[in-house]
Amino acid sequence: MSAKGAELVVRALEQQGVEIIFGYPGGAIMPVYDALLNSSIKHILARHEQGAALAADAYARVTGRPAVCMATSGPGATNLVTGIANAFMDSVPLVIITGQVPTTVMGTDAFQEVDVFGITMPIVKHSFIVRRAEDIPKTIALAFQIASEGRPGPVLVDLPKDVTNAVPAITPIYETRRQKRQSPDPEQVEMARELILAAQRPVLYGGGGIPIAGAVDAFRAYAQASGIPVVTTLKGIGSVSTRDENFLGMLGMHGNRAANRAIQESDLLICVGARFDDRATGKLDGFAPKASVIHMDADPSEIGKLRFADAGLLGDLAESLGAMPTGLSIEPWRQWCAERKVEHAWRYDAPGDYIYVPHMLRRLTEEAPDVTIACDVGQHQMWVAQHCHFDRPEQHLTSAGLGTMGYGIPAGIGACLARPGARVVTVSGDGSIMMNIQELATIRRYGLDLKILLVDNSSLGMVRQWQQLFHQERYSEVDLSDNPDFVEVARSFGIPGFRITRRDEVEGAIRRLLETEGPLLAHVCIDPKSNVWPLVPPGQSNDVMMEELSA
Amino acid sequence: MNHTLRMNIYKVEGALIRLLGLIERRGFAVTSMNAHADESAQHVEVTVNVHSSGRSVETLTRQIQKLYDVRSVACLTAAETPAVVGESVAC
Repeated sequence: MSAKGAELVVRALEQQGVEIIFGYPGGAIMPVYDALLNSSIKHILARHEQGAALAADAYARVTGRPAVCMATSGPGATNLVTGIANAFMDSVPLVIITGQVPTTVMGTDAFQEVDVFGITMPIVKHSFIVRRAEDIPKTIALAFQIASEGRPGPVLVDLPKDVTNAVPAITPIYETRRQKRQSPDPEQVEMARELILAAQRPVLYGGGGIPIAGAVDAFRAYAQASGIPVVTTLKGIGSVSTRDENFLGMLGMHGNRAANRAIQESDLLICVGARFDDRATGKLDGFAPKASVIHMDADPSEIGKLRFADAGLLGDLAESLGAMPTGLSIEPWRQWCAERKVEHAWRYDAPGDYIYVPHMLRRLTEEAPDVTIACDVGQHQMWVAQHCHFDRPEQHLTSAGLGTMGYGIPAGIGACLARPGARVVTVSGDGSIMMNIQELATIRRYGLDLKILLVDNSSLGMVRQWQQLFHQERYSEVDLSDNPDFVEVARSFGIPGFRITRRDEVEGAIRRLLETEGPLLAHVCIDPKSNVWPLVPPGQSNDVMMEELSA
Repeated sequence: MNHTLRMNIYKVEGALIRLLGLIERRGFAVTSMNAHADESAQHVEVTVNVHSSGRSVETLTRQIQKLYDVRSVACLTAAETPAVVGESVAC
């Protein structure tokens, strides 16, 4: 007996090696959910489609393979949109499957009809509407291929209900073909080699493309062999261990002073899998003003997009890095950078009794070097980036390009499922956690061992900080002092919790967090006036770094 | 700055709107356009005149080339031989 379209969907996903789908059922996608009952693929029921998409995003980041999320038509599909944009901005391979109303009523404003194909067009790498059941295997296979090749990204497959209910005359089999990775142009390689050999003050500027390209080991090997000081973007953190002697820190708006100063003084910037994002560069005209640029990337449209590249190495990052020269005579520069690193080392002796979050986060990763941190968005996100130790990039899950509040809990769920048994902590804020707090039910439902470190300053801290500094302390809609009792909220979802308010409670809280089995929420109440330093004001160069005015 | 872009795209659902959407989203204004299917009716030749207030048209052509449904893109400027940026793989 021939299979229905919905069964072809499930078979095609199985053929791609899919083990988990994150999703939420509904009318138009119901045939696929019915077919899933006959499959070994595990389905994770999120409590909101956005949670499903963001959990899939983190699952893909940790496994390095395309992840799948699924929802029904109309509101189900629109609820996925933030998660799709998140994956698009951070180049995460995601295959999104949406149900659609039957082709016969498409375009008639039918119940739960929305043009998700049109809505998501600017935030997907590619998308399909499947109009014949025969095309399902080929389309699913192509979706995986496009999502993962070159610069990865989200690919949407919209499935009308009559197509998933139809029985095609034949059951086609479609084999994907893989594109060969492109090698860098030999002339550009030679030009890059000459630039490096001539440089006195080179800096390696690493971005999120390094882990995406599977080039972490090559990047580390080159950093070590060349001795070139390393800075990374937010997404590049962990590409070299944050404990590495050559690592100066994250650059940019909330970057380390040593990293920003080295960039500004450099005469050669070797940009590896980064894209000169405005949060990293500050005012572009003032970014690394004395430096030539070597840009290595898999995406041809990134080279020269925002900053002229004296040498553009398109293609495989590991191959490009492997062709670069070592044995450089840059000891005075290395010494200068090492001195700046000492001069601008973070300090953890903040006065007062309030819990000092940078110190708490530092202690967390000192106690648990293997921990994966799924971060939410806000001040706590920057503190994590600045103060936590990471030995691998996949230990640090963060919504970098889109800055999606609400990422933390779904990302923690995705990480727990991607690596069962791994130690995973979501660091969230009181603003962020409310954006996907319903996913506490998902943690409970699947018994995930996810710890939540909730940093609560009773406000939208990052917005408050900007209003304080750049809007003359005119605070507009940032007060969250009417937050619920988060420990009680967690308990009501079946997750135990506890609260700390004093600095001397931090060590015990970290131990409890790390030693307790099963999910746990630590509610950490901090000074509502805490700010993130340093800060490059918007529109300024990275050499203008504001520091805390009073100790 | 005005530029003329000539593209050959697959005649599939959404390809034209995806192309025009990208051009506008990347900061270029479409001042005129022409599109017609070729003899096979499988491809569409699209010529678009665009205006930019400073963005690089070379970067735009590379962004267009990344679209899965685009077979080729050429930027035609006065007194220059059209240069085809590349061919993409058919599905």
